[in-house]
Amino acid sequence: MTILRPKDVSSSRRVLEALGESVDEIKGFCCGQPAYNSGFRKEARLVGRKMLQATRNYETVVIPSGSCTSMIRTGMPKLFIESQDVSIEQQTKNFWDFGEFVNSHHQINQIQFKMTGSIVYHDSCHGRRELGLTPNLVNLIQRIEGLDLRRLPHEEECCGFGGSFTVKQPEVSVAIARAKLEEVEQSGARILVSEDLSCLTHLQATAEGDGHTLETWTIAELLDRALND
Amino acid sequence: MTNFQIRAKEKIGHQAQPAATLKPIVRNLVKDSRAMLAKRPDDAKLRAREARQYALDHLEELHEQVKQTCKKNGIHYHRTSTAEEACQLISKLSGDARRIAKSKSMVAEEIGLTNYLRNENREVLETDIGEYIVDIEGQGPSHITAPAIHLNRQGIQKLLDQAGLEVVDDEPLTLSHAVRDTVADFFKNTEVGITGANAIIASSGRIMIVENEGNVAFGFSKPPIHIAVTGIEKVVATEKDALAIAQVLAPSATAQPLTAYTHFISTPAKNQERHLVFVDAGRSEILKDERYREILLCIRCGACMNACPVYTAANGLSYGSPYMGPIGAVLSPLLWPDRYKDLPEASSLCGRCSEVCPVNIPLHDMLLTLRADAIDKAVTDKTVERLTWLMWSHIFSRPRIVLMGTWVAQKTLQLTKYLRKQTSLDPRGIPPIKNQRNIDMLIPLFEANAMPATEEINFKPDSLLQLFEQQAGEAGFKIENEPTDSLKTTFTVTAKGAIAITGSVILVEKEPFMKQLMEASDVKIILDKKNIVEFPSDADGLIGINENTLIMTGASRTADIEKKIVRGIHGPQNISILMK
Repeated sequence: MTILRPKDVSSSRRVLEALGESVDEIKGFCCGQPAYNSGFRKEARLVGRKMLQATRNYETVVIPSGSCTSMIRTGMPKLFIESQDVSIEQQTKNFWDFGEFVNSHHQINQIQFKMTGSIVYHDSCHGRRELGLTPNLVNLIQRIEGLDLRRLPHEEECCGFGGSFTVKQPEVSVAIARAKLEEVEQSGARILVSEDLSCLTHLQATAEGDGHTLETWTIAELLDRALND
Repeated sequence: MTNFQIRAKEKIGHQAQPAATLKPIVRNLVKDSRAMLAKRPDDAKLRAREARQYALDHLEELHEQVKQTCKKNGIHYHRTSTAEEACQLISKLSGDARRIAKSKSMVAEEIGLTNYLRNENREVLETDIGEYIVDIEGQGPSHITAPAIHLNRQGIQKLLDQAGLEVVDDEPLTLSHAVRDTVADFFKNTEVGITGANAIIASSGRIMIVENEGNVAFGFSKPPIHIAVTGIEKVVATEKDALAIAQVLAPSATAQPLTAYTHFISTPAKNQERHLVFVDAGRSEILKDERYREILLCIRCGACMNACPVYTAANGLSYGSPYMGPIGAVLSPLLWPDRYKDLPEASSLCGRCSEVCPVNIPLHDMLLTLRADAIDKAVTDKTVERLTWLMWSHIFSRPRIVLMGTWVAQKTLQLTKYLRKQTSLDPRGIPPIKNQRNIDMLIPLFEANAMPATEEINFKPDSLLQLFEQQAGEAGFKIENEPTDSLKTTFTVTAKGAIAITGSVILVEKEPFMKQLMEASDVKIILDKKNIVEFPSDADGLIGINENTLIMTGASRTADIEKKIVRGIHGPQNISILMK
């Protein structure tokens, strides 16, 4: 995230601070998902363990990306199952998806979000199926006063990214993205919002490659812009 | 490039994209399947899974029992360990038969049975409409329950023309009926009927097979020899277990309440032989591996492929295996470790397959395990990829290097866009690092389309009888409350009972009756109103002990062409139920 969309990190921070939280940024770590999904578990463990060590002293760790959260919460316990380290499974429970955390925060009703315009929502597979985030995320976006939220008719379908899949099977990956983009276009909205920046990056690259303009925002960015301060 | 990628790329590069044909069909299927499964008991999926789980946990025990119970019913039990052995045995059992009618069987595809028998100069006809069509094309089925789903009507008309069938237009009705006539004609004189099997019931020694077209009914009742071929894992303990599977199978496969015919095949007719051939071909090995044994829970419904974005974009032929889609990506490399190494990569891991699976197989988790397994096992493979990940892991476990490298990485990414070749199949450039946002994009191109209101039919039948009459009517039965004298009725039978939610009637007879039933044009079924149960899983007391049983849900039909329902395939078409 720091590499691809540095701005989203500061957006997340501003929203969390508006909720009264004090925020430390844990920079430069990775959950290990790219290697894990490619079958390189040893490498994933090496990288993932560092991230866990760096976040050990925090009660709550918020991640502004659905698929990283899913890797930590559902993938990591499996990845470290052989090490029989129960503290790892315990620690993964401290991790929250950004949108989930914000929507269920006790201060959320004290904040006013306002924005005029239309956006269309993309649900991420990891967020939806592994973590069951969809109702939380949709509810969160609906808190923005004046925003016209549009939904895709086949919201549950994948965007085709899939991590190493997009590198190893680029043609299939792009074909799937094009089907998704077709529905985005039919929605009439020109800004695509999702919790998962990897989906967004893939969809934006495909759209631009095909000569279309598309704005892609994370939920963090959307909320940051809608903060009424 | 891997084999899957080569084939998929070729198909996607084609002007007629696979998804153009597949997407509208599978989208409807997934939606309708979900709605149909909602009309089952809440724990229907769990019950089906438990039935399958029990079978895997007691496999050898159940096989011993099947041996005994089949013997009592006059069914010959065989167990083979390899594909080759299975083909040889079936060839031997077929004797010098020249004309063999084969219905759909995934195991037969797996072991290459049709080709084996053809190489012995026998005439083998694929009698399932979809299989008949893909047999002309010569590339095998592209889906496990809808073999010709990758073809549209124009493509199918061309193939049938090529095979010399007379087809005047490309309507699914015309095309389906043309194949039906050819098949019916072939059945007039066949020596062997080969079918698959959906479950073998240990307690009664009966073979459960589900079908829509009636070609299976012909296949096991008409020829003097019937051979059912199936995997060793397909046994179940009881009739209750078989029904638990049947009640999620049809909804998941084709979004139907039940298929037109659910057969429980027992004693053969006089002068008829019946053989049951179990094929191992690697299954015992899979069973031993805790990580993968759940794949043998599979009931071959095909729901995972309907829900799979990769399958939809690339179509089933890209997998190059008899088993395609997510189930194929897991099962193929387990059955043929050398041939399908690349298939676990044919998934974006979106997890929708695991979500729709009616027996809850964690398909996408298994794909991950297969990927990891391949890396751990074949250390000489994928050297470049190995080095890349090794380097990656050393960089990403050092946050200072990552942060220092961020600026470099950003610049490198921007530079590589000049190196990366953009093609029509992959037009993506390197993602730009944009900090500028175009706020004007908040203005939509047009007002939101009003979502079409979903029509909800709030018909709540207040009794099982009413529910049955409504559903049986939808299935295509005619309900009569007064006996009408029809000269045309050629077959009259008393039903043992009925299932309300699916509109099915249950016929149970000591003597085999399918041949007679299939040859009748009109059928009258007498049903006692008292014997109606709600769900298929409640019907275990109504399907007999070891008789020949048919759960009939309307007349035969097919949806093998563009998933459009065409009625009137084989067997009786005018079926009335007289309520008593």
